[in-house]
Amino acid sequence: MSDKLTSKQLSKKITDEYMEDAFHAHDNNKLVGYTTAISPVEIFVAHDIVPIYPENHAVANLTAKKGVELCSVVEGMGYTSHLCAYARSDLGYRKTGVTVTRGIPDPDLFLACNAQCFTLTKWFQVLARRGDLPVFVFDTPEHILDQKARKEIVKYCVLQLKELISFLEKVTKRKFDYDRLKEVMKYSAASSILYKKFLDMAQYKPSPISIFDALIGMAIAVYRRGTQECVDYYQTLCDEIQAKVDQGIGVLPKDQEKYRLYWENLPVWFKFSDHAKLLGSYGGVILTSLYVHAWSFDFDLNKDPLETLAENYVNRFSNSTIEDRADMAMELFKKYSMNGMIMFMNRSCKAVSFAVPTLKDVLTKRTGIPALVFESDMGDQRFYAESQVRTRIEAYFETLDRLGLAQKTAAA
Amino acid sequence: MWESLNLKDVVALARDPYPSIRQWARDTGKKVVGSTIADVPEEVIYAFDLLPVTILGTHKPLKKAPSHLPDNACSLARSNLELALSYEGDLFSGFVLPQVCDTTQHLSDIWRINFPDKFVVSYLAPRQADRPSARYWVKEEIERLIESLSAWTGKAVNDDALRRSIEIHNETRRLLAELYDIKRKNPGTITNKQLFSMMKLSLQVDKAEFNKSLRSIKEGIKPKKGKGYTDVVLVGITCDPPEIFDIFDELKLNIVGDTLVDGTRYLQGAPALNGNLIDALADRHFKRGFFSPIHDNVYKNFEEVKKLYKETKAKAVVYVHIEFCESQEYDLPDLKDMIKKEGIPMHVLDTEYQTTSLSHVLTRAQAFFESLKGGSL
Ligand code: SF4
Ligand code: SF4
Repeated sequence: MSDKLTSKQLSKKITDEYMEDAFHAHDNNKLVGYTTAISPVEIFVAHDIVPIYPENHAVANLTAKKGVELCSVVEGMGYTSHLCAYARSDLGYRKTGVTVTRGIPDPDLFLACNAQCFTLTKWFQVLARRGDLPVFVFDTPEHILDQKARKEIVKYCVLQLKELISFLEKVTKRKFDYDRLKEVMKYSAASSILYKKFLDMAQYKPSPISIFDALIGMAIAVYRRGTQECVDYYQTLCDEIQAKVDQGIGVLPKDQEKYRLYWENLPVWFKFSDHAKLLGSYGGVILTSLYVHAWSFDFDLNKDPLETLAENYVNRFSNSTIEDRADMAMELFKKYSMNGMIMFMNRSCKAVSFAVPTLKDVLTKRTGIPALVFESDMGDQRFYAESQVRTRIEAYFETLDRLGLAQKTAAA
Repeated sequence: MWESLNLKDVVALARDPYPSIRQWARDTGKKVVGSTIADVPEEVIYAFDLLPVTILGTHKPLKKAPSHLPDNACSLARSNLELALSYEGDLFSGFVLPQVCDTTQHLSDIWRINFPDKFVVSYLAPRQADRPSARYWVKEEIERLIESLSAWTGKAVNDDALRRSIEIHNETRRLLAELYDIKRKNPGTITNKQLFSMMKLSLQVDKAEFNKSLRSIKEGIKPKKGKGYTDVVLVGITCDPPEIFDIFDELKLNIVGDTLVDGTRYLQGAPALNGNLIDALADRHFKRGFFSPIHDNVYKNFEEVKKLYKETKAKAVVYVHIEFCESQEYDLPDLKDMIKKEGIPMHVLDTEYQTTSLSHVLTRAQAFFESLKGGSL
């Protein structure tokens, strides 16, 4: 028997060690930096600042259906019910201490990167006020279509990364080590390639992974990129999935995989496994979304690290124009041979959702495939209407069947 | 067309300036360029002999916008989009769209996709204002705007044209500030509605012409102190519909200071004319009060409100909250707390574009100011 850990065991080990490190950061003379899931965390890692992502902690609580309890508390504090459920549940956790995990350590500083959303900047400002802590806003202007402007945007972002480094040097009273950054970048580049390889395994028929596997598998890329263990984790994961592919094992058996679906937006966290089962019963498997691809970076190690960081963080899907998002999604449609799409209008996330109606129009036109659009909230169950969603899903598959869109390989 | 307006005309036009802009564009053959609020340097657009028009919502019903932006999108963004999609789109030859928040970022995309044949550029003002890179970026963006406008119009803009444009804009700002001052001290002379209608209209019509009206309005004024007014400070981004100012007038509130983007913030930081003009325009971005809630957090907002409250010796603060403006909503609970702790009476007014009935606004404001007079707050 090999004593090599499975990806699941490895993920747990990495996460446990990371949280231990985070909770004991001060004992080890390290600071805890709260940051956004899409942010140049490589700079934190290179400077020995432990990155903490309040979003991840929020996901754990929302998945465990703590959304209503935590959000209600915050509404009592004067925050409205249509703010992002991550922010609301986090502020609720601060107030009540309620969490399904051991919680997260308090921050010493903040890095808010707008490439994901502006909400996080505002949310971090709320948290920072409680302890009068410093916030660095890494402002990433939208990655607009004009090529010349893009070059200028990258320059502006490089300038800001230099400011970020000075900011960290000032806060920590330690000199930043550019050689260390280069090393961190190597790990980030390597793990990104493997992470993308993992996501792209959804190309196989039947697909060995669904988006639900991708959502679980993305966690380490979000909070441990820039480390050797992150690279090891994705290598292990890719090996495991490849073994499934070699044996022809799919999420659904080959003859039952009728619909290979695209998902737009974040998941409805508290309906995560229900949705997988429900769709599976119709022969549907959701393969991917732009969201999970947000962490497949394409770092160029031949470039100045700050430049390749700036380029990669400004061009994330969440900071791209709707036209570019459509192109990105189209590429996935082709690569993964998808034949259906579920477009989730997530009340929580304006940054992603306000593109959805337009994106849906463009994608349905370009693919000729109808879309299922539904509105709900990723974490607040009060905005989720179970029977309505079920009926819509059922009707959607009926439509796809009627249009003869099921895969040819499917059983009759 | 806008050279000899009296206060009554201004109020009427501010409510719906578009027919007159349409007529003006026909008469002069000039092109109209629309923007939404927040920091687009209109002086640059004007220097190209184009008419910059700040779009501030429509009061006509929503028809098309809801299918692009859901109902939890800020009502200003939806209203602006509606104006362009359903009502006035053909009037504009182009748009320069600023991006400040998640909503405006998408708004610009949706707008561009819906007007494929028009000139549409994004103006990407920085969402941080304290570091040197912010200044660098504002200048870059102004230069990019100039390049885009040159490419579109086929014209270059020289320093003289830009200087002339800045002069005209500075004159508007100066006249409005003087009128504000008269109103501040003599609330019986100019109503809140009249003052803010002048502000609004100046963001929408040709300033060279409108300055003449402002000048003659100013000269014709006979200051009247008036009686029974309560001085207040207005805080927020913008305040709409204009009938809200009627409510203020009815309650005899005298707005003596504000932080609105289409109020005092618009009047601040007149660019200097004696040096590099692009630098001067970039400076203006930082000389103005910060754009709450985008440029900084609640502390600065609070300090500014406190200062204004003390300087003007106002009796209360009225905060205008635009329904579904997330950026405001993250700040508001703490801002309220800070203001309360300071002992400053504060009334939060929720506004929504396309609102038809304001009776609840009136009732709530009435209750607040009555209790203020009774000293129970
Ligand atoms: S869910 Fe959307 S709004 Fe919330 S933090 Fe993430 S990107 Fe921002
Ligand atoms: S009012 Fe608020 S949400 Fe609306 S565009 Fe302005 S900052 Fe954005």
